[in-house]
Amino acid sequence: MLKKFLNYIVKYLPENNKVERIWILSKSNFRKRYYGSSLGIIWALINPLFLLVIYYFIFNVIFLNEIENFILYMFSGFLIWMLFEEASKEGLNTITSNRYLIENIRIKKLDIYISGLLSKLFALIFNIFSYFLISLFFNIQYSANILFLPILISNLLILNLGISLIISIISVYLKDFNHFWDLFTLALFWLNPIFYSELILYQSYRIILYLNPVAGIIINTRNVLLNGVSPDFNLLAINFGQAIIILILGLIINKKHFPKVIEIL
Amino acid sequence: MKDNTVISLKNVSKTFKIKDRNDYTIRNTVANIFRSSNIHYIEALKNINLEIKEGDFFGIIGRNGSGKSTLLKVMSQVYQPNKGGCVDILGKYLKLTLGTGFDGELTAKENIYLNASLLGLTFKRIGNKFQEIIEFAELEEFVNSKVKYFSSGMYSRLAFAVAVHAEADIFLIDEFFGGVGDEKFRQKSDKVFRDSILKGKTVVFVSHDLNAIKENCNKVLLLNFGEPILIDTPEKVLKEYNRLLK
Repeated sequence: MLKKFLNYIVKYLPENNKVERIWILSKSNFRKRYYGSSLGIIWALINPLFLLVIYYFIFNVIFLNEIENFILYMFSGFLIWMLFEEASKEGLNTITSNRYLIENIRIKKLDIYISGLLSKLFALIFNIFSYFLISLFFNIQYSANILFLPILISNLLILNLGISLIISIISVYLKDFNHFWDLFTLALFWLNPIFYSELILYQSYRIILYLNPVAGIIINTRNVLLNGVSPDFNLLAINFGQAIIILILGLIINKKHFPKVIEIL
Repeated sequence: MKDNTVISLKNVSKTFKIKDRNDYTIRNTVANIFRSSNIHYIEALKNINLEIKEGDFFGIIGRNGSGKSTLLKVMSQVYQPNKGGCVDILGKYLKLTLGTGFDGELTAKENIYLNASLLGLTFKRIGNKFQEIIEFAELEEFVNSKVKYFSSGMYSRLAFAVAVHAEADIFLIDEFFGGVGDEKFRQKSDKVFRDSILKGKTVVFVSHDLNAIKENCNKVLLLNFGEPILIDTPEKVLKEYNRLLK
């Protein structure tokens, strides 16, 4: 069914090699991640749902808390976090996992990074879909503010693109950078208001809001998706600024170091 | 033969910097922060100037470690030459080496689509050519199996078929035909090579197989320890190479 749906989209895209190229790169990426296993694509859904059930049990049943619609509160934050984490992991290994292409064919480096991101975007779309399914069981009013969602997601994608451009280079220079990145994302995870109220950040730790580029996106996603209010435009502007600065840095660093990195691969 | 230069190298040298110590971890970098390391410089290519014209079948020979593969990597712009060097390659190229070029986790079909798309073909065109490619490679039964299960012969047949049909303008071939396919397949690929010269496609061919060089190439470069010794017709260069070997 999914395959039909995808083919349907492809059929109506204009015949454009550049679009197709990025499309097929991200499709192969996605297939490699999910299709080899027996449950296949279902893993893309099971993984976040499983984590959600565990966290729900811990943070709602064991530690009681008073957040309304807690499962959706968690899920809306989790959507964004999953994309960030998966995409940055993907970004980390971009160069090594696409070596066979880089060395044998003329290819725009940026295409590889973009397609890696897109393959993660597919997974996000599945997750948003299951979010909507779950939200049917709750009394949620969606408002027109939901139209901000694509803007927030593109903010995250820009951020991730910039990060990938940088960390993929570092991970070749320093082979054990991956371990460091694991620790870093773990710390960052808990600095995001996924399980606890975002008011804590607003009231006592405002600095985190400004230093952690993901927190604001999570808060705003929740605003437009769950609360049906407009995003915090202050935060949105800051996050966009951060993402663009990181992207520019990433482009500069990547351009300078990519050829050097290839030699020590 | 036409007179368009498709690959040109000017003053191309390539020096590799190799550190004695393995510094490629955070731990080692921190641990060795005050210790200086021995750095070796290896001059893999020394001042190479050459022009390859459209339709040339250009051979590169030399002893092991003379920089043939490095030269190919510089041509395909995987490696950047030292400062002052200049590499221009016009057109779509595909590098054919044994053991690389395809993703083992993808099926033959997916790999064909991926590679052909990267070479600039639209899906529609690939769809039209797909059957031809698969038949040429004699892999009809294995369209949907993962490439990692392929034998090396199947693998290189597939790579060759993609290269031929996916309309690459330039083939960079590194030791590719040491026994690719049986006699029948060799005849087919030989024919393609002869045709490709007529069609104005360009081939750069690195090999130790001197017979293949003699049969196909119209120009040959002899490399020795990264230095270009001679660029000339196959007969003259092979004579020089044999003298060098003694």
